[in-house]
Order: sequence, then C-alpha cells, then structure tokens
Amino acid sequence: MSLESHQPVSNASAVQEPQARAALAPVWLIVLMFMLLYCGAVYFDQNGGWFDSRIYAPYQTYTELESFQPKGGGPDLARGKAVFDTICALCHGANGEGKPGQAPPLAGSEWAQGSPDRMIRIPLYGLSGAVSVKGQQFNLAMPAMGAALSPDDLASVLVYIRTSWGNKGSVVTPEQVSAIKAKVGNHPQPFTVDELNAIQ
Amino acid sequence: MSCGPLVFLAAFFAFAASWFGLVLAPQFQVGRLQQETNVVNTTELYPSARPGLARQGLEVYRAAGCAACHTEQVGQTGTVCDVVLTDAGTNHAALIETLIRSGLGRSNPGQYLSELPKPVRQGLNKEEADFLATALKSAGAKADVRIVPVGPDIARGWGKRRTVAEDYLYDDPVMLGSLRVGPDLANVGVRLPDPNWHLRHLYAPRLEVKDSPMPPYRYLFTMRRIGWQPSPDALQLPGEFAPPPGFEIVPKPEARALVAYLSSLRTDAVLFEAPMTAPSAPAAATATNTPAK
Repeated sequence: MSLESHQPVSNASAVQEPQARAALAPVWLIVLMFMLLYCGAVYFDQNGGWFDSRIYAPYQTYTELESFQPKGGGPDLARGKAVFDTICALCHGANGEGKPGQAPPLAGSEWAQGSPDRMIRIPLYGLSGAVSVKGQQFNLAMPAMGAALSPDDLASVLVYIRTSWGNKGSVVTPEQVSAIKAKVGNHPQPFTVDELNAIQ
Repeated sequence: MSCGPLVFLAAFFAFAASWFGLVLAPQFQVGRLQQETNVVNTTELYPSARPGLARQGLEVYRAAGCAACHTEQVGQTGTVCDVVLTDAGTNHAALIETLIRSGLGRSNPGQYLSELPKPVRQGLNKEEADFLATALKSAGAKADVRIVPVGPDIARGWGKRRTVAEDYLYDDPVMLGSLRVGPDLANVGVRLPDPNWHLRHLYAPRLEVKDSPMPPYRYLFTMRRIGWQPSPDALQLPGEFAPPPGFEIVPKPEARALVAYLSSLRTDAVLFEAPMTAPSAPAAATATNTPAK
C-alpha cells in the first residue's frame, strides 16, 4: 500500500494547482507611480543640490550657499599665497628668504613692512639700482612683475608678504592699489630707491 | 515557478539600486575629498590629522563604546544674518535718519553711535540684511553682515555650525553615533578644553555633572599606594570620590589617549560648505595685522 493511495482522488480534476502567470497592472497604479515619480523629481530638483558634494541641508542650491559666504572680512591670504607662489617665490624664495644675486629677502625686510605706498609701487612699476635690505646692499633690477595683476590679487599678495614669516606690516587694500595706479599713471622706468624714499 | 528569471531580475535591480544610491553615489560625491583651506583668512589646511595620542584615543573611544550614547554630528536647520554697525562714520544725521527709516532707534538713536561694534538687527534673512547694510553704508557708516547658523543643536551650545563630511576626513572609523543619551561631542574640544576636567569626569561623572547618567570608567585609572611623594598626575578628588588615605588615583595611558582624542574634537573652522562668520575673526585680524606704519 503506497502513500499515494491516501491522497483524495475523487475531486482531483476539480482542484487546479495554483500557477503564477503574468497579469495586466491596473492603469490607475501606473498613473499613480508616474505622479509619485514626478513629485519626487520636483522635490529633488528643489532640495537635492543636484549631487553637489558641497551642498548640505539647510542649503538647497549652490547659489544660496554662495550667497552666505562671509565676505568683507579683509584680504584673502589664501589667494595671496597662491599668487606669491606663482609669481614672487621664483626669485624671492617660497619663504621670502631671498636668493643671493637674484632678489633681496622679504622676510624681515624693512621695505616689506614699511610704508604701503612705497611697497605698492615696487611690484607695480619695478625697482632698479642700489638698495639696502636688512643691512645688506643689493644692486639688482626688478621688473614690473605685478603690473598685470588685478588690484585685488596684488593687494592679497602684498598683505600675504606683509604678514607672513614674522613680518608685521599693515594691511593693504585693493583701493590703495588702484589709487596708486591712478596717481602715478604712466611710469615707464622702474622706480629707484631715491624716488621711493621721497614718498612717505 | 514559471517567472523565476523575472523575480531574480527584479530582486537584482532592487539591490543594485540601493547599492548605487548608498555606496557608489556617495563614493563619487565625497570619496576624493581633500584637505581644504578655510574661507576665513588663513592659509592653514583643514582638517589636520589627529596627533598620535589622539589617534590612539579614537580606538579607546571605540572600545569603550562611547559612540553608543554620544554622537559626533551637529545639525543645523537654518542660517540667519545679523547686521553689526562697526563704524558710525561722520555723517551722524544721515545715519540716524537711515536707522529711523529702518524702524530702529526711534526712542534713543544715540545708542547706535557709541559702544561700537553694535548689533543693529539680528535674525534677518540674507536679502533683508544686505539691504540694511547697504542703507547704512550709503549713510557713510560701516556695517558687517554676520552669518549665524541656527538650530536646536547650536542653541544647546554643541557647535557653531553643522558638521560636514570634511570634518571627518581623518577618522577611521567615523564615530558618528546615532543615539544621544549624552551630549554631542563633535565640538567638545572647544567646549571643554580642560584635560583635568575630562579625567575627573571619566573617573566620576557625577563629580562634574550633577545627576549624570554616564557610567564611571574607572578601569581607565589605577589606584595605587602613594610612594615617596604623591604623583603630579594624581586626580584631585574631593569628598566621597577620594581614594582611601595613603592611596592615589592616576590615569592609565588609555585615559590620557581618550582625553587627547576628546580635546582634538573641534569643528569650529569655517568651511565653504557650512559658512558662518567666525565670532573672533575680526579681533584676530586686528591682533595679527597691527598697523606698524
């Protein structure tokens, strides 16, 4: 007597084995899904920051985040350092230590910490002839390396020089740079020490 | 099962979508973060790697299960602007007229001309603040717009701004935590700078914080007999927490490492992602850039 004989056989033809088969999804479900997708996309567009890794809640867009950046807090030393490393450090050294036969030092230099009106003129128009820096005599020619820089960049790099490596100079503003540019105007020859000393 | 491949594909896409969203997309977003310079005036890079002892302290923090009750993430719900008058200029009549037109100082406008810098309006949105600052500047005065993050965590004093991915650049693992039985520790190095406070608090939390539910971590300390003379590192414990006479409580290296880690937790740098006006920035700028003629 086998196990199969215990199965009810009388109504075997009436009960069908359940089967999974494809069925049509109702239209309202598809419409609802597309509506949810649309709402989600709109919400993401307004609040997601488009995957920008700099945008965190509560900020929603890059423009909004940028508008909150504190400004007017004085010169940008990071930019000053970038300008210095690109342009000035070649001759004056990355730490303003100067290079013999090429450029006098800036670190601890009385010119770099002294009158801003004199110092602004040096990168704007150049400096040639004998000059005494930290008790040493130099007789070199510096071209107008900063003439092509914007007033903002030049002011940043001057403030970086005047406040780095132990220097304790005052702040230079872009307005001061523009004022000197307007005041001196066309000055084809580099400044000399005597000319600079005539300026306060 | 007649549609096995379909079920397999559906499950595969469901898991693949969550992998894309939770693993791959964040990896593309912040996987290559570098140190960055602050937006405030400094050339220092942020964040700096934790010093060695603090790096060991992270392991102690992890082993002691601190992250079960403490988070290291500060939230922020919004950002407001304060307008601060820094210089009244010379044209006081025009300034007072501007202030009164902005609905300020109707009763006593003279208060805005002394004791500067003085906050004129607080809690404005960006447009209102810019408008007021421009109006004050056109009256010959100088005004700063200060960016102030706000939110419940910041109101509790747990941080100055929200924390962002940049803050955790050198942490492995990142002890974010998810439950706040105790306060948030993201900025604890700034809030509680005294290492001796932390040592006493680890030994006997209720000595420093009344009714603190934090368990004492006494296995980070040893009680030993006082030798020739008391150790300078021994904890100064009053009353019921004091060791028996002739004994002293000294921290083990683990306790020192943990305190070094806690002291290194600071999220006060101003980042592009979380702008704020550093409260001490103007004072620091004048201190380092003193006019030297």
